[in-house]
Amino acid sequence: MNCNEAGTWVAAYADGEIHGVQGRSIEQHLRGCAACGAKYQAVLTLRAQIRAEVPRFSATPALRSRVQALLAATQAAVPTRPRAERDRWRWLSGGALAGCAATVLAWVVASAVMDWRTNEDVATEAVATHVRATLNNHLIEVASSDQHTVKPWLSARLDYSPPVHDLASEGFPLEGGRLDTLEGHRVATLVYRYRLHTIDVFVRPESAHVPPALRTLRGFNVVHATGSGMDWLAVSDVSPDVLTSFVQRLAHADGS
Amino acid sequence: MVNKAWSNRLSEHTRFEALVLPHLDAGYNLARWLTRDVNDAEDVVQEACVRALKYIDSVQGSEARSWFLTIVRRAFYDWCARNRPKEIVADDGAAIESAAADPALQPERAALRSAQSRLLADALAELPLVFREVLILRELEDLSYKEIARIADIPVGTVMSRLARARSLLQRSPLLHAIRAQTAGAHR
Repeated sequence: MNCNEAGTWVAAYADGEIHGVQGRSIEQHLRGCAACGAKYQAVLTLRAQIRAEVPRFSATPALRSRVQALLAATQAAVPTRPRAERDRWRWLSGGALAGCAATVLAWVVASAVMDWRTNEDVATEAVATHVRATLNNHLIEVASSDQHTVKPWLSARLDYSPPVHDLASEGFPLEGGRLDTLEGHRVATLVYRYRLHTIDVFVRPESAHVPPALRTLRGFNVVHATGSGMDWLAVSDVSPDVLTSFVQRLAHADGS
Repeated sequence: MVNKAWSNRLSEHTRFEALVLPHLDAGYNLARWLTRDVNDAEDVVQEACVRALKYIDSVQGSEARSWFLTIVRRAFYDWCARNRPKEIVADDGAAIESAAADPALQPERAALRSAQSRLLADALAELPLVFREVLILRELEDLSYKEIARIADIPVGTVMSRLARARSLLQRSPLLHAIRAQTAGAHR
């Protein structure tokens, strides 16, 4: 192999594109030819410099939450479409027994909603929802630290308008919001951060006045508060005292 | 208790999470180097994700990375045509000339920059688009000629010639020459 033949292939060889017999003959040529050897070295040197000095950028947290919001938005869009409704009825007729069971269950759940705080199930359900959202990376559907973005987004999707406050100045920055279902009803979920912890706050209209309650389930603390005409249920692995004062602060943020 | 549309959508999401999310960094890195801007890169990748989600059924696991990068690159060019039409220069020769005339590449300005490592990154960022994209895909994403050809929608021969020119532009970049002269002077 001479320089003319080798010349065009030196870079390709340096890029690991040439193997086998052809690779060996280039190798041989490089050992004997200073000009091609220098060309080869120049490619390797530049590569080493690029990899040492040029940053390979990683997706920003903002981008990641935008992608999650995108996924959540398309996911949420499906069940509300009329065609999806028809499909659900087809499923019901295909399994009448299961359908009956589901109906009974729906009744049970619906009656439980009447007083959600005295019922432990809502805390269990809230923790399960929090865990599911965390595991699926589905914490946030509308990502914003701006309460004026999050509130209208939620209000547009609910028959009530939850108060939204950013408590970043107190160490609890608002991350965004999403919609969940608790006991068969759509609720607004506000997502806050406290240091490295995530706090989910489920907000829905107040049904009856009951003093604040604290529960611990599966390692998560569930704190309930009422205020500003709403029921507030916070779920997090944040310590109970911090979580309690946070929820109290949130529930009465409108009045302060 | 899921209906058919719902379960299809779920599997689309599952596929998206399994096939696209692992390559979000690669996609963002490409978009970041093409747009040279944090926010614009985010916009481009988000648009790419919208498209990827739409066509997620058409991709095999083994080729997910280059498939997603193809979409990111396409999304970038569409974005660029809308926002910075002047940057898309079809003719390589013209691109080189305009790059050479770029005041950002003048040695006097380069000498003012302090951090040495910024210089190679700056020089790379100043490369004309067609050369920048193949070099990023080759050196930062470690892709083969065949994969680059597919992503940039050009023949393998063109990948080779663009890489060669990208490298020689970078090696001959006034930015790099200025710093080499500077450091050589400092060591003397």
